Amino acid sequence: MKTIATPSVLNIKELLSRVGDDHELVIELFSIFKFEFPAYLQPLTDAVANELPRQVELESHALKGMLLNLAAARAAALAADLENLGRAQKIPGMREVLTEFQSEAQILLLQMESVEFQT
Amino acid sequence: MKILIADDDAISRRLLVKTLQVAGYEVLAVPNGLVAVEHLCKQDGPRLALLDWEMPELDGPAVCREVRKKKDQGYVYMILLTSKGLKTDIVTGLGSGADDYLIKPFDSEELKARLRTGQRILHLEGRLVEARENMRFKATHDSLTSLFNRGVIVDLLGREISRSRRERVPTAILLCDVDHFKNINDTRGHLIGDEVLQEAARRLLLSVRSYDYVGRYGGEEFLIILNNCDPVSAPRRAEEIRKTLSDTLVQTSAGPLSVTMSMGVHQTQNWGVQTVEELLQQVDAAMYAAKAAGRNRISFTKPNTSEVAEHKQPAEPAQSLP
Repeated sequence: MKTIATPSVLNIKELLSRVGDDHELVIELFSIFKFEFPAYLQPLTDAVANELPRQVELESHALKGMLLNLAAARAAALAADLENLGRAQKIPGMREVLTEFQSEAQILLLQMESVEFQT
Repeated sequence: MKILIADDDAISRRLLVKTLQVAGYEVLAVPNGLVAVEHLCKQDGPRLALLDWEMPELDGPAVCREVRKKKDQGYVYMILLTSKGLKTDIVTGLGSGADDYLIKPFDSEELKARLRTGQRILHLEGRLVEARENMRFKATHDSLTSLFNRGVIVDLLGREISRSRRERVPTAILLCDVDHFKNINDTRGHLIGDEVLQEAARRLLLSVRSYDYVGRYGGEEFLIILNNCDPVSAPRRAEEIRKTLSDTLVQTSAGPLSVTMSMGVHQTQNWGVQTVEELLQQVDAAMYAAKAAGRNRISFTKPNTSEVAEHKQPAEPAQSLP
């Protein structure tokens, strides 16, 4: 098998090494993420909009874990930034980081779509 | 080996399930801490667990605390999965009762190695429990017959009498002695004598209900406690038990032997102020009365306890069967 797409926001090589080169599992994980992601993003967006730092911390922590498992380091780092802001109760700056996170997530979703494995 | 995964993150859960299934584990995956506790506290629940720290309803450390609090049998080896890498978090996690922790995203080889450590500890715990149970069995059971030993059966008798007094329910005490046992030992040898005792014990045990007690009281003496045994049933039950030995020859390595026993029986629910020792003296006297009356029979204690106490070797039981 040969990987023909390794997007920078998504470290496919690292992900494959973590799952024992199981391509099917990677595709399955992507589809789980695509399905689950909106249900995680909405409460985070609401928490930022309503300036609820504890909620921001919890929701972004969950997203961070998910993204780290997918070797999506850039999006995971932004989720971690949001988590830290929430923990420190620093409301200013949250909206900007959230916007950045949302656009990074869109790129990530597109890159997931573009990943395919060839035999 | 069965393992439980508790993680609300579907991706992490799927990754863990796949990794562990490939590694040969029987995996049970749940999405929250409450369900995890429910499974881990079951008698036959998983003994290995991977718990995410952050979970709805009950987080990983809370699951550890609940399991440690509720679980009284069998150790559960629990590993916390966390993206919290701070020393204080780790201390908190281990303080909650977790055995180990792994930082997310986990490395599958490290995860498997840590689980093997858990299995080794569980295996060791299993051996320790087994050794403890063996020691407990040896301390409470007779090594030849595997029945309760004298200390335990007398203790059980004391408890049963207290219960009988308290609940005003009848109990029957049977003291059985294998007839002419010395003769068996002298003529056939002690090994054959042992075989006879083992077979007698087996038959006695089979002849009582699961909630009755049978113990080896002395050399060839057995003490039986029949709980909730009313006055009408006691003589019939005692007869049935006597016949379990006399009606069928005992097969020994020296050939079949006819073996019988004599039995003293005490049955009441009005215990008065008698001590266990006094009751045992009475039933012992009744058993000797059965011997004196020709053996292979049952003899009942006299209702008046003082009479028996005055005659350690009574020749006149109140009633003798057959």
